[in-house]
Amino acid sequence: MNHALRRISLVALLMFIVLLLGVNYVQAFEPSRLATQLGNGRTFSQQYQYQRGSIITADNQTMAESRPVKGIYKYQRFYPDPAVYAPVTGYDSLYSATGIERTEDKFLSGSDPQLTVHNLIDLVTGKPKKGATVQLTINSAAQSAAYDALKETGLPSGAVAIDPRTGAILALASYPSFNPNRYATFSSAQLKRIDNRYRSDPRQPLLNRAINQSFPPGSTFKVVTSSTAFSKPGGKYTPSTPVFAPTNLKLPGTSRQLINFDNLPCGNGRVPIDYAFTVSCNTAFGNLGMQLGDNAIRQQAEKFGMNDPNLKIPLQVSESRYPPIPGNDPALTAYSAIGQYNDQVTPLQEAMFSAAIANKGTLMTPYLVQKVTAPDLTSLVNASPTTLSQAVSPTVAGQMSQMMINVVAKDYGTAHASVTSLTHIPVAAKTGTAQNGANNTGLDDAVFTCFAPANNPQIAVGVIVKGGGLGADASAPIAVKILQAYLNAQAKQ
Amino acid sequence: MLVFAVAVVLFAYASVGLSMTGRIPAGIAGYGLAFAVLMLLAHLAIRWLAPWADPLMLPLAALLNGLGIVMIYRLQQSGRDGNAGRLISTMSTSTTLLQVVWSTVGVAAFIAVLALVREPRTLQRYTYTFGAVGLLLLAIPALLPASLSEVNGAKVWISIGGFSVQPGEFAKLALAVFFAGYLVAKRDVLSLAGRRVLGIDLPRARDLGPVLIAWVASLLILIFETDIGQSALFFGMFLVMLYIATQRTSWLLIGGALFLSGAFVASKLFAHVGERVTIWLHPFDPQNVYHSSYQLVQGLYGMGFGGVLGTGLGNGQPYWTPLVQSDFIITAFGEELGLTGLMAILLIYGLIVQRGLRAAVAVRDPFSKLLAGGLAFVLALQVFVIVGGVTQLIPLTGITTPFLSQGGSSLVASWMLIALLMRISDTARRPAPQPIQEEGMTQVVRAG
Repeated sequence: MNHALRRISLVALLMFIVLLLGVNYVQAFEPSRLATQLGNGRTFSQQYQYQRGSIITADNQTMAESRPVKGIYKYQRFYPDPAVYAPVTGYDSLYSATGIERTEDKFLSGSDPQLTVHNLIDLVTGKPKKGATVQLTINSAAQSAAYDALKETGLPSGAVAIDPRTGAILALASYPSFNPNRYATFSSAQLKRIDNRYRSDPRQPLLNRAINQSFPPGSTFKVVTSSTAFSKPGGKYTPSTPVFAPTNLKLPGTSRQLINFDNLPCGNGRVPIDYAFTVSCNTAFGNLGMQLGDNAIRQQAEKFGMNDPNLKIPLQVSESRYPPIPGNDPALTAYSAIGQYNDQVTPLQEAMFSAAIANKGTLMTPYLVQKVTAPDLTSLVNASPTTLSQAVSPTVAGQMSQMMINVVAKDYGTAHASVTSLTHIPVAAKTGTAQNGANNTGLDDAVFTCFAPANNPQIAVGVIVKGGGLGADASAPIAVKILQAYLNAQAKQ
Repeated sequence: MLVFAVAVVLFAYASVGLSMTGRIPAGIAGYGLAFAVLMLLAHLAIRWLAPWADPLMLPLAALLNGLGIVMIYRLQQSGRDGNAGRLISTMSTSTTLLQVVWSTVGVAAFIAVLALVREPRTLQRYTYTFGAVGLLLLAIPALLPASLSEVNGAKVWISIGGFSVQPGEFAKLALAVFFAGYLVAKRDVLSLAGRRVLGIDLPRARDLGPVLIAWVASLLILIFETDIGQSALFFGMFLVMLYIATQRTSWLLIGGALFLSGAFVASKLFAHVGERVTIWLHPFDPQNVYHSSYQLVQGLYGMGFGGVLGTGLGNGQPYWTPLVQSDFIITAFGEELGLTGLMAILLIYGLIVQRGLRAAVAVRDPFSKLLAGGLAFVLALQVFVIVGGVTQLIPLTGITTPFLSQGGSSLVASWMLIALLMRISDTARRPAPQPIQEEGMTQVVRAG
């Protein structure tokens, strides 16, 4: 019988070998395939088993953090000031993420290869795994001021503030906003309900109006048209160059006439460019636009960052467009030159116009992520500002600055009353009141671009309020509040 | 060795507390002391009742039992007392305590078996009594109304007033004794050769009776008790013991073919058997993944999630897997202790089986040989069926993991199985009785 017993021993040994091979297959070779299979609750709940990194402002205010909770999941995402920062942070839900939560996920979740070593050390030392902290360029004072001011209008609107010297985005606000805390729920039924409600809301709270919706720039586009003129080789155009500025500009090939705001005349019909800019004569710039031509203006617009579908800050920015004009039609070129044809810009683009002028013509690449710090405080990412383009020469930038200063400083400037009544900070600006809707029957969009202090620019702001009316009335006060809040906060430091 | 086993268990218990609440569990002194005293008692019983028994078996069994209790405690605490994780609704706050109580009963049964069965051969006298008891135990759940015998779809229980026993676990032991006694008596007849086909000696047709009866019995279990695992265990045990007794490979082949064809036909005829096969072949099919194969798939996800090193005790998410505390406890070990821990556990089982087979080889008397061989193999088979089932190697069948799974019957029966193996190994290793010494004789003469 011992012979049979030995054979049975071999069979038993074989059975154990098969089992060992089986568990090796499942646990050593299969995990990555199993992790992505249908109905694997562990994979997505894993991300709530350790603390996801925080998102903080440049001045160390918390925008998003993971707090310990009781239940299946150990941590839950929390946004202390949800509506204000939602366009920046986005949300992090069971199934998806948006905003910085999405673009910086590998740092926040700790899955970035740079964090592997840290995680391994934590595993050995028994410290719980933790995500990296992402510090943004956002200034809490500027951001809160921006959101509060937009909210006060009650209208769909967006505002962006940039440090023109670096491209660091100081504020990026959108109204109506949403509450990302609602997305942090662990109940997939509740998540679905919230998501449906937000998506079907006609006010589109999930739309990031600061970077993902574009509006006609209106008269603020005269910054581009003027820059094109002054950049013409040979110095043909300077701010003092007189241009033809009739009350009604007859457009070639059409019966339509270009008029000034409220049908007002422009000086005596022949004015220097800087005067036309300060009072925002449509006929003068329509005429100038036809002289410069569609191509030259478009090239200049592109140097300011338009027609770029690939801009990421790292959030994807919708393209601000200056499309080619069919058949180089001079009439349409005239409309384009005053920002009223097919031109479309985001509030970020408005801020970039001013930022380029403020930084002596050099447009810095706008960015949001300043620093990424591992849990052990080693720095993983440290932003270094880069140049996006040389929009205009320093000389032209100087000329443009002076014209924008005049818009506020001269008592006949379009932004004089609204800005100087609010602040003594020297501001350089351009207003825009964009007509829209069929036959311009829609409410005007209020557009404003500016930088301050004019003599030593630290902040450039772009604001667009849909249906806000006059740029000077609706958007300028918002921009002033933002730059005041920022400059005050900087002064206190 | 035993001290080491107890220390490992205590360390595991402390580790559960540390990862779940950040503290060493409050009950560690009580539980630890109880477990240590229990194992000390078992140890003293061996010193007294079976001093020559294999010294490795008790520490190995103790380690498994202790790890089982720790894992059950960890699963019970999931989502309870502010711990992370989801509450496992099939467990109550007293589950761990109950398991400790069952462990005590198990060790008591272990000592009782050692005390009552001083000589394995004495069991041979009661061959047919054990056979009758074994069959009765097996048949009771099938005969009882479902309300008293069905839990989670398996009709293998006797459950009266919230207290339930799985008689099949004990039937396994009784039938092992019966098979051993029966086969020792009939081995000469059964090994008579009939015709020779393809180099294999076929038994005589008239001797096929017993194997056919065993086959029919196992099929009846399969059909009436919805329990493929049990039937495979009984039939496997019988076949192997038949083979050991007769040394005829043909028995293994005939029996294996019978079982496979029976199982195949059953899978076509009976929906619940067929479903097991479907689950096994297509676990990730979207139609099955949230329904019939949910448990298997969640168990696999858990093991995959644990990977090579595991998440650490208390850090995994075993609560996703339904009934993870009983049939699927091995996946919880795979998840939290990783491939490494699971291989260690399999090796522990392997060692127990190997020690049992070694006792079978060493012991002289054929009845003990057969019994030890059968018991050791059935332990190996049980581990193979359940671990192979949860790892998708073979179709999943719901049987317990010896010593680890929550549940009293299996634990007590496993301790009794170890007791029998240790008794046999004690018999095998006991030195032959010394002849009465010449000196003494002369002394008697001198005195006279």
